[in-house]
Amino acid sequence: MEEGYTSLPTSHLLGSVPAAVAEENTKGAAGESSSANLQIFPPANGGYQAPGSPYGGDDQAASSWRGVCSISSYSPYFNVDTDIVVGRLTSSVYPMNDFTRKIDGNPDLYGPIWISTTLVFMLAALGNCATYLMHKRNEPDTTWTFDVTFVNWAACIIYGYALAVPVAFYFLLQYFGCNASLIRLWCMWGYSLFIFVPSALLLIAPVEIFRWIIIILAGAASSWFVALNLKSYTEGSDLMVLIVSALLLQFVLALFIKIFFFV
Amino acid sequence: MSHGDTIPLHPSSQSDIDEIENLMNAGPATVLPAGPPSPPRASIPVSSSPFLPSNLPPPPPSVPAAAAYHKAPTSAAPPAAETSRGGIAADGFGSLPNTLTEPVWDTIKRDLSRVVSNLKLVVFPNPYREDPGKALRDWDLWGPFFFIVFLGLTLSWSASVKKSEVFAVAFAVLAAGAIILTLNVLLLGGHIIFFQSLSLLGYCLFPLDIGAVICMLKDNVIIKIIVVSVTLAWSSWAAYPFMSAAVNPGRKALALYPVFLMYISVGFLIIAID
Repeated sequence: MEEGYTSLPTSHLLGSVPAAVAEENTKGAAGESSSANLQIFPPANGGYQAPGSPYGGDDQAASSWRGVCSISSYSPYFNVDTDIVVGRLTSSVYPMNDFTRKIDGNPDLYGPIWISTTLVFMLAALGNCATYLMHKRNEPDTTWTFDVTFVNWAACIIYGYALAVPVAFYFLLQYFGCNASLIRLWCMWGYSLFIFVPSALLLIAPVEIFRWIIIILAGAASSWFVALNLKSYTEGSDLMVLIVSALLLQFVLALFIKIFFFV
Repeated sequence: MSHGDTIPLHPSSQSDIDEIENLMNAGPATVLPAGPPSPPRASIPVSSSPFLPSNLPPPPPSVPAAAAYHKAPTSAAPPAAETSRGGIAADGFGSLPNTLTEPVWDTIKRDLSRVVSNLKLVVFPNPYREDPGKALRDWDLWGPFFFIVFLGLTLSWSASVKKSEVFAVAFAVLAAGAIILTLNVLLLGGHIIFFQSLSLLGYCLFPLDIGAVICMLKDNVIIKIIVVSVTLAWSSWAAYPFMSAAVNPGRKALALYPVFLMYISVGFLIIAID
């Protein structure tokens, strides 16, 4: 599945942040073009050389920044097909220990981004429905009101969690001497949020005890998934504190979703 | 005289031979066989008409006509060629220098007509939908801008509380959504032109605009749900061929899912806000 992207082998990605990868890649390209400079000179097309052609050499300092801004330097993280994504989603629901093997070598960012976006929409929409149903059950003459601030809150919480927690764990793992990859951590945490999407559908039911059971089950499965993958990822090093704190954080997120959006 | 030679030949070479033959025969008729090249060429349509009955019927009328059409700009002799050249200039190249001095109303009218024609190409059924790159070759961003702002305004009008926040959320979701969806297709390795895709996604909001207006006028939940489902299906149908053609078949679902997610969330906003 990587034939189209041989210019950026994923073996280089492990243990590096995307900006550094892009920089490294474009430096490699710049080195190639400078070596090609020697071979091609004089230009093969009859001596004519357009101003601003890649042989110029003046723009090589800026090319590293262009690598950060260009889309093609991020497309390796979206190098997935439909069946791969579906396979990862199913293995994120069943907490068996083959998710780490599945994302090995090809961690994607497509799943985390769109799972988070789906979850934001689900929380904003279904949270409103659930609140309305709960109020209607207690006092039948409640009118429907749509609280648009749910969208803002859901976006801040879900995007913030999916973005910031893996970064924090990346730095902690680096601090404890464990060679971690930020992309893999993002991928893992993003897929761990998927189980909240179907459970948000069940959370509409206006029975309080049912809701609590659902969210505790979903939170337990999700935090177990995170802990299991983090454990298999940091194999060999004794980082039980980090794993337990990740598990607790995920469970707190589940409780927060229940308490804040499904009142 | 040379009919036996010309008949078995291929039609394309036949037409050339006819032209040469006409030239040879036209020489004595126009009394200028060795003159400058333009007068004999200009006289081809005139001189070829006597030869029509004696020659093969189908090719000669078209060939001299085409020759006169092509050579008309170089030889400005016959009045018929002059009128045809004037027609070309009027609709092809003549309007460009005039845009600086034309009335503002004409500019607006031209932009509006372009928005309407793009809308017809994207949202309504037509033969060009199978090749969407052709359909939106003349893309613009005025239409998407109007549709996004109109949808945001309709939603904020129909909201009873927090009108400005509703507008802000709707506008942010629609505008950022179009950009993010395009980036998503690009990142999945699709071949797509950035602003063309923005333009198309904006035009696909038109059915939802209609649905929002109907929902603002009718205050009934059942009617709202039906109207929004219909317009949602219409919007998705309009966006489907473009988005699915841009990526390879294994990733079609990955490119289409975010589009449907955005339209469903907009449809939910339309239903939910009263």
